[in-house]
Amino acid sequence: MQVTIQTFIGGMSLGAIYALVAMGFSLVYRTMGLVNFAHGNVVMVGAYLASTFFLSTRLPFALAMVVAIGATGVVGVVIERALRPLENKDFDLMLIGTIGFGIVLEALAIIIWGATGHAVPSPVPVPPLDILGVRVRTYDLMVLGIAAAATAALMLFLQRTKRGAAMQAVAMDHEAATAVGIHVGRSNAIAFVIGAALAALAGGLVGPMLYVNPSMGGSLGIKGFAGAVLGGFGSIPGAIIGGLVIGVLDSFAAGHFQGYSELVLFVVFTVIIMIRPTGIFGEKTVNRA
Amino acid sequence: MSLFARRRVAVPLLTAALASAALALAACSPPGSNNTPSGNENGPIKIALVDAQSGQLSSLGAWELKGARLAVNEWNKAGGINGRQIQLDVFDDQGDPTTGTNVARKIVSEGYIAMLGTAESAVTIAMAPILRDAKIPNITSGQSPGLVAVGSPFLFLNGPTSTTYDATLAKYLVETKGLKNIAMITNNGAYGKGEHDAFLKALSARNVTPVADQVVTADQKDFSAVLTGIRQKNPEVIFLGAEEVESGLIVKQARSLGITAPFAGGAPMGTPVFADTAGLANIEGSIVSSPYLSNDVSEASRKFAAAYKAAYGEDAELHGAKAYDGAQILLTALKNSNIATGQALADAIRAVKHEGLLGNFSYDNTGVGISATAIGEIENGKLVAATS
Amino acid sequence: MRYRYRLATLGLAGVAAWLLPYGLDSYAIHVVDVMLLFAILAVGLGLAMGIAGQINLAQVAFFGVGAYATAILTTRAGLGFWTAAALAMVAAAVVGLVVGIPALRMQSHYLGIVTLGLALAFTNWVTNAQIAGGAEGITAIPAPRFPGVDLSSEYLFYYLELILFAAALAFGLFVVHTPLGRRMRAMRDDALAAGAVGAEVPMLRMTAFLVASLYGGVAGVLYAGLIRYVAPDTFSIGNMFLLLAMVIIGGRQNLVGCVVGAVGLVVVRELLIDYPTYAQVAYGSVVVLTVVFAPTGLAGLPSRIRAVVRRRAPVTPALGAFEPYPAATAGVEPSVLTVDGVSKQFRGLRALSNVSLSVAAGEIRGIVGPNGSGKTTLFNIVSGFYRPSVGRVLLDGRVISGARPYRLAQAGIARTFQNLRLFRDLTVADNILVALDRTRTAWTWRYLFWPIGIVRHDRSLRAEADRVLGRFGLADFAGIRPGALSYGIQRRVEVARAMARAPRLLLLDEPAAGLNGEEVRQLGEIVRSIRASGVTVVIIEHNMGLVMSLCDRITVLAGGAVIADGTPAEVVTAPQVIEAYLGDSAMSHDVPTTVEVT
Repeated sequence: MQVTIQTFIGGMSLGAIYALVAMGFSLVYRTMGLVNFAHGNVVMVGAYLASTFFLSTRLPFALAMVVAIGATGVVGVVIERALRPLENKDFDLMLIGTIGFGIVLEALAIIIWGATGHAVPSPVPVPPLDILGVRVRTYDLMVLGIAAAATAALMLFLQRTKRGAAMQAVAMDHEAATAVGIHVGRSNAIAFVIGAALAALAGGLVGPMLYVNPSMGGSLGIKGFAGAVLGGFGSIPGAIIGGLVIGVLDSFAAGHFQGYSELVLFVVFTVIIMIRPTGIFGEKTVNRA
Repeated sequence: MSLFARRRVAVPLLTAALASAALALAACSPPGSNNTPSGNENGPIKIALVDAQSGQLSSLGAWELKGARLAVNEWNKAGGINGRQIQLDVFDDQGDPTTGTNVARKIVSEGYIAMLGTAESAVTIAMAPILRDAKIPNITSGQSPGLVAVGSPFLFLNGPTSTTYDATLAKYLVETKGLKNIAMITNNGAYGKGEHDAFLKALSARNVTPVADQVVTADQKDFSAVLTGIRQKNPEVIFLGAEEVESGLIVKQARSLGITAPFAGGAPMGTPVFADTAGLANIEGSIVSSPYLSNDVSEASRKFAAAYKAAYGEDAELHGAKAYDGAQILLTALKNSNIATGQALADAIRAVKHEGLLGNFSYDNTGVGISATAIGEIENGKLVAATS
Repeated sequence: MRYRYRLATLGLAGVAAWLLPYGLDSYAIHVVDVMLLFAILAVGLGLAMGIAGQINLAQVAFFGVGAYATAILTTRAGLGFWTAAALAMVAAAVVGLVVGIPALRMQSHYLGIVTLGLALAFTNWVTNAQIAGGAEGITAIPAPRFPGVDLSSEYLFYYLELILFAAALAFGLFVVHTPLGRRMRAMRDDALAAGAVGAEVPMLRMTAFLVASLYGGVAGVLYAGLIRYVAPDTFSIGNMFLLLAMVIIGGRQNLVGCVVGAVGLVVVRELLIDYPTYAQVAYGSVVVLTVVFAPTGLAGLPSRIRAVVRRRAPVTPALGAFEPYPAATAGVEPSVLTVDGVSKQFRGLRALSNVSLSVAAGEIRGIVGPNGSGKTTLFNIVSGFYRPSVGRVLLDGRVISGARPYRLAQAGIARTFQNLRLFRDLTVADNILVALDRTRTAWTWRYLFWPIGIVRHDRSLRAEADRVLGRFGLADFAGIRPGALSYGIQRRVEVARAMARAPRLLLLDEPAAGLNGEEVRQLGEIVRSIRASGVTVVIIEHNMGLVMSLCDRITVLAGGAVIADGTPAEVVTAPQVIEAYLGDSAMSHDVPTTVEVT
């Protein structure tokens, strides 16, 4: 029982990271119909920026995160410009085009920061909480809290602000939104900036949990994408649930199947998607690929 | 990622496509029969160093290169061998066995007489049959028992095998420290698999069964399930068989889960990357089996460390020292044999008795020249010889 | 002339390839050997992705299955190389079919992540499994033996690869240009329309994965024989992306392009190998630039250049006259369609409620109603795209509701679509050819054992297609893609495609939308001729003039229910019809008051 709870908690904290990554995938997709496979690499860039500011300039962690989010947002604008011609291309082209972009980002990271990477010390020196023998890292609690806050902020933005409502309209019907005078290009750019900021948040938060290196984007991207698909691609609540489910599933697979955990994870994922191709919160209306 | 290694073949390839017809009519010989014989008598002595220079294992490759180059430079400064300079060329295997097989073919086709590296046992194992067929001796930095199992008379190790590392460690833990309650975590990569088998064998030779034997994947990130299971077994020590970063993550997560037992393992646990990833406070008391605990173990190591620092501006460590020893052995053998190649060079390497940084080398038929490691413990963040 | 030119190029390429090893050193020949492996893999991936439109990120896993199965069977089970190779092909085919199963339920990025996940699962398995040698892989795979030839020489192995590569490419091209490939391309362009012209979409998707896995298997077996060592890292995601880049850069819809992409990328990477990181930047940038500026890849460049040149001297072929069908002979029996109490519910929206109607043999039935009244939903149910929530549909007394669209197409129902669903990357002739082919997917076994039968079948289809094109006056457009044609001509092509099925029931969904007056008149003539040839016609149309003059009976739908049913004269005077139309004032042009009733 203790093992089960502890495994669940471990899965939740990485799951929160996957959820943030998944949210970025879904937001960009629902707004502009782009499946951005470079998203994992944007997470990596965010992780590098946050950890570099944190380690070298001795900024407080929170401030380093804010700076990193801002800087990655700018990177997001650049990527959006570069990928704009891909927005309405078919899926094969989008797939390989964004993968190509991710490869460039990874190589640039190697040129700037070197191939070896670095470790990031935990910014929260408080010892883990002990609840009836189950240990909960304070840092993980912080990650879960920040992820929840980011989700709430995003939902509020989409539902309560004019700009957010415009983006919702673009997600639902591209042409109708244009017809009522919504600037689709600006909506897309904002979606991309928010997506990049979410990636930076995920990257910055994951740094102290893992190890920052140029190839870290690969598995975070794939699992985040799987989370987004599991939740229903394009759905924001779906991305949260999907990301957490992938994290927990991964954690339990590692506990029960040891070296075979990846095999089990992806076979289970495939079976779930086979049974419910639109995911947990799948909305057919948002499916534009 | 790539299946290819260094150098250009594209240009000859394109020209060849155009010129092939004329060539074929002129030559009238079966393709490939005009291979250049290796071992040019007057030019420099060509030695290949193969290691990952890109990708995740490139730090290992960079260390190896520094150690080997240091040795070669020393010899060249002293006039080379029989008046000939030694040319050390670097090839990138990207840590990928298939790329390794390509590099092996390249080395053969370009007439290198010997090879140093790689640091990855799997890559070396993949290359071994090609090098054996071409009779090119290889001094590797790998440590997997699988290297011995290849049984190639042209394959030599510049350090002990995992069997030695883990037998020494198991002996220390079980016999010296009297610990019986031992848990194991290893990954399913080539290194982790070798460690798993060697340590388990060493334990069972001492009639100890581990209380837990957990396998993780090489890119796993969350170890909650594995570590909580181990915590319930309450082991006195936990054996780790994984690369630097993963070992560090495991130790970090274990401490946060309230596991206080010390960790024990091989060379990765003596590196700064491990210490940084895990956090200095978390690695205190770790037990490390290594043939090269620090730069202060002997007069030779102090001299090596000083030269290394002077050349590269950083502190020497185990991998550089191993590569340095390997290069010294190869060059000594070349000198002793009057720059022999092929079988004669391999025999000469086998005959070398070398007093190196890691200890006294004396090769047997298996290609292993040294079979002892020392035990160190991490005290105040530094690896020091264990005081048992 | 052009044919002869091609043959000469092919011959020259063959001779050059045959003589190539004479100019290469032992390392270069190794690179060429590996290049050929990638070329075979790229052709397989091109068939699955470019031709059949199935996102397949598991190609590298098929490659791995072929290589590992050969390695395991030779070293662990002690089988001979060729026996092991044959079994490895079977293993690759089985894995291909298993990986293909998700394609039955999902497409696009969903299929992408699932196949990618399964590829990761494969590498994870070989990394762990004792039998696969774990992370260190399997060494000492015996070299393949061939009586009198030493295949451990890379030079001689090259010839083995060359022959297999040539065979693989030839087979791929053969598939693309014959019925199977045509159906796959149709499915790629529009899976729904492909189903409506009788292509068995699920079977075709599985076939695509099967073919891709066979190519992967061949490359894997050759890899095991060439390198004689297998390890998990070779079958990594990185190599999958490399393969994908080859296919996209070369041109995914053109198999020769895929080969050019494979050769080109290998050469470029070899040139840049001294600068791995900068090579990575260059390679990534090339991929992005290709996708943005040359989405059809290198193979698409010649035709794009040609298109630019041709634009200067436009030749506009003319639409010919429709040549009426001969009147029905005694053997042809038009169908009777019965819709019996059908309702359709979409997530809280009731699109159809309790609709019943019956269409007599040889009748032209009009279905009218305001937008959103459920007309197209009704067509979608009759043609099998939707299952009714309640009720059933009968064709000649047999229940057909719930059957797949391709089954219904095979049973004699053909349709057109409101928004035109032509196969956009197929020529007009190919659009017709897809519909003409009435063979089942199982028939494709002939590709392996009786290719001459395929050639004969294809030849007879082409003759038939010429007749159809001639009848509909489309002969001049045979080689043109539909996108380049005017709307009216596209509508004609779609009717011709539906008629190429030789249906007994034809469903026309707003066939006059976007047509000018003359085109509408011709359409009326065509539909009457179709009916006269023994086909029952149901037509949805907003153009009331056409409906009134053409239809024997009219059914009026409003809000998903039948509100009137009768002859044109009866319907226009029915008070509930007038009310329904006036209530929907936005659709006032539909009001059937300006209609001249004959």
